[in-house]
Amino acid sequence: MECALDAQSLISISLRKIHSSRTQRGGIKLHKNLLVSYVLRNARQLYLSERYAELYRRQQQQQQQQPPHHQHQHLAYAAPGMPASAADFGPLQLGGGGDAEAREPVARHQLHQLHQLHQLHLQQQLHQHQHPAPRGCAAAAAGAPAGGAGALSELPGCAALQPPHGAPHRGQPLEPLQPGPAPLPLPPPAPAALCQRDPRASAACSAPSAPPGAAPQAATAASPPASPAPASSPGFYRGAYPAPSDFGVHCSSQTTVLDLDTHVVTTVENGYLHQDCCASAHCPCCGQGAPGPGLASAAGCKRKYYPGQEEEDNDDEDAGDLGAEPPGGVPFAPCKRARFEDFCPDSSPDASNISNLISIFGSGFSGLVSRQPDSSEQPPPLNGQLCAKQALASLGAWTRAIVAF
Amino acid sequence: MIPGIGAFTRDTLWCFSQVKGTMETGTTEADIISTVEFNHTGELLATGDKGGRVVIFQREQESKNQVHRRGEYNVYSTFQSHEPEFDYLKSLEIEEKINKIRWLPQQNAAYFLLSTNDKTVKLWKVSERDKRPEGYNLKDEEGRLRDPATITTLRVPVLRPMDLMVEATPRRVFANAHTYHINSISVNSDYETYMSADDLRINLWNFEITNQSFNIVDIKPANMEELTEVITAAEFHPHHCNTFVYSSSKGTIRLCDMRASALCDRHTKFFEEPEDPSNRSFFSEIISSISDVKFSHSGRYIMTRDYLTVKVWDLNMENRPIETYQVHDYLRSKLCSLYENDCIFDKFECVWNGSDSVIMTGSYNNFFRMFDRNTKRDVTLEASRENSKPRAILKPRKVCVGGKRRKDEISVDSLDFSKKILHTAWHPSENIIAVAATNNLYIFQDKVN
Repeated sequence: MECALDAQSLISISLRKIHSSRTQRGGIKLHKNLLVSYVLRNARQLYLSERYAELYRRQQQQQQQQPPHHQHQHLAYAAPGMPASAADFGPLQLGGGGDAEAREPVARHQLHQLHQLHQLHLQQQLHQHQHPAPRGCAAAAAGAPAGGAGALSELPGCAALQPPHGAPHRGQPLEPLQPGPAPLPLPPPAPAALCQRDPRASAACSAPSAPPGAAPQAATAASPPASPAPASSPGFYRGAYPAPSDFGVHCSSQTTVLDLDTHVVTTVENGYLHQDCCASAHCPCCGQGAPGPGLASAAGCKRKYYPGQEEEDNDDEDAGDLGAEPPGGVPFAPCKRARFEDFCPDSSPDASNISNLISIFGSGFSGLVSRQPDSSEQPPPLNGQLCAKQALASLGAWTRAIVAF
Repeated sequence: MIPGIGAFTRDTLWCFSQVKGTMETGTTEADIISTVEFNHTGELLATGDKGGRVVIFQREQESKNQVHRRGEYNVYSTFQSHEPEFDYLKSLEIEEKINKIRWLPQQNAAYFLLSTNDKTVKLWKVSERDKRPEGYNLKDEEGRLRDPATITTLRVPVLRPMDLMVEATPRRVFANAHTYHINSISVNSDYETYMSADDLRINLWNFEITNQSFNIVDIKPANMEELTEVITAAEFHPHHCNTFVYSSSKGTIRLCDMRASALCDRHTKFFEEPEDPSNRSFFSEIISSISDVKFSHSGRYIMTRDYLTVKVWDLNMENRPIETYQVHDYLRSKLCSLYENDCIFDKFECVWNGSDSVIMTGSYNNFFRMFDRNTKRDVTLEASRENSKPRAILKPRKVCVGGKRRKDEISVDSLDFSKKILHTAWHPSENIIAVAATNNLYIFQDKVN
């Protein structure tokens, strides 16, 4: 499908639609907003995967310049043919310009983290296969990448995914992951791959359960796996749907829901936005505090990638350590919150509109109807400087649909 | 051979018959027609508009003098069905737009129809009055009360003929049963009950009881954040009073049997076609959302309309439709811009003809399409004032998708997306169709030889 819009424009258009629906006669239309949220989710998947591809591409470039010993872990995951096509995606704006080289070590480090994360995804996926039940954060549908040229492979994430070879289930959304004709090595996970959330994670982990294969639910937060090819590519979009509202877990905000039927206001406490999740078993979020270094256990500490991080890392002391990471070990970085207050240097022209929308999302979609007083944990109220990029980075803001209803 | 052209074809030739509505280019939003429906005999044609008004047309008796003109439809009654309301509790304005009109089968001299806006269903009785009582004792001829002291004689009022007056009275108001926006109503074949469907729930009503309804489908999740689909349309089976279907925004149709359980959350049949992964795009979810579902008159098939296609399903086969018709596939590459201008959210309806052999649905640029299920031929016609000469034969239109544009073809980029035909109706037994184009209602008939 030819699409003149890139993912970011689509996101801003969609947010604008949702915003304007508040003032339309007849009240907010649930159906239309639900469909818009699907577009939002799709666009976000593409956006995030594009960024990942760019990251990977840079890392590949850097590898070619680096001495071999730095490459040992990464090459194992080099999916043939994949990164080269990432360049087809067009210019990606990572963290607002800046010196690309300075970010290389960061990129490489992050990729390394992602590989670790990917390992865990695989483990979880195995687990999922055996225990098909419950909750979100299923392992990556580490399906073989789409065969189309330029298509990124599926990027696993905290998603309710279907097994790559599984046929679409009845009653569930049909998103057949396209098994490639030749099985390719599993690609590294998406940059925004999330904390591993064990299916048995506690209910405190915000959004309630949905069976892994269940219909894609909250269009929320972070990356669902996607195998988005660039819009111009024929095999445009393949991929499983994101997990539901699991994404809400990793936001340090609250989600408030007003049930129009019972007029009950429910506040769902979400967990922190962790950079590093603890090892597989349990969700470190839900107020358990930042995991200590000791938690970098066998499964490894996963470091969550989000776009705003790169600039931080440039200033971060840890950046200096990245060049000498021990094999199998991962430097631990403390948890960081979503940086709502970060300014996007090249904020989009309609930043003010989007910031209004972000302020809606800041308290979940329920901002459409009611605003809860910000808790101390919540990020400060968003002001006009936010742009869509930050919206994308704020994993917790993407609660699906109209909790206002 | 283009269907509809040529004297030697057995295909139907469609001719312009009438157009209702103003010709002014500046349309007030209230005049936009939002629903069209023939009654069970085809004698009456009702339209609802965004201003909450219902206009009923009646077909005049065919006269022997003018055999070439089949009965024309003239205004029979006009009334304000719904008014704008305000829900103070939720601070929501409730639009008066008529979403659907459904006729009840005629059981006496009066006509009954259901009309609904987003929240309230009303049963209207439309009856004729052609006699009026005269000779009251307590009132004079102008209706002023008389002083009883001046009355010296008594007389019995008599009924005298008067000019025909058609009056519409609201007989029942079914309110406060829907939290979300009502999208469908459907009269049951038992003629005693009907259902109303909103985004998440379907309620069953008895015509006589307005303060109570049964909820028969509820797909609202426990946590609204888990919402993934909504109900988009619902209809009762034409003959089996226990069976109904409802469609979802995910492109699925569920058939439910009310005998199975009181709450029909579990479907009896589930119709879904696997998605073609090569067509995946940002907007796949939107274009797969079903905007209308209709049973065939026979009850054997259901027809669904999504953004780009019309599909016919056999009730006995759930895994895929038996027929798929492309309505305007040339729009597939334009989905981005259609999303920007909100056209991608347009909800087109679809209709069967009386014999279930032809299906019809609308498109943009005031085009509408007919698909003959037997011959597999299709035709695109246009509802426009230019073709408005009486009995003028409609010329088939063609959209050119690329390359050289032939004469009389229109290119995709020239289509006027503000002129959309969302609502159409087909006479239950004859080849008469009503097509709503914004604020105008076009009536076309097949050519009478």
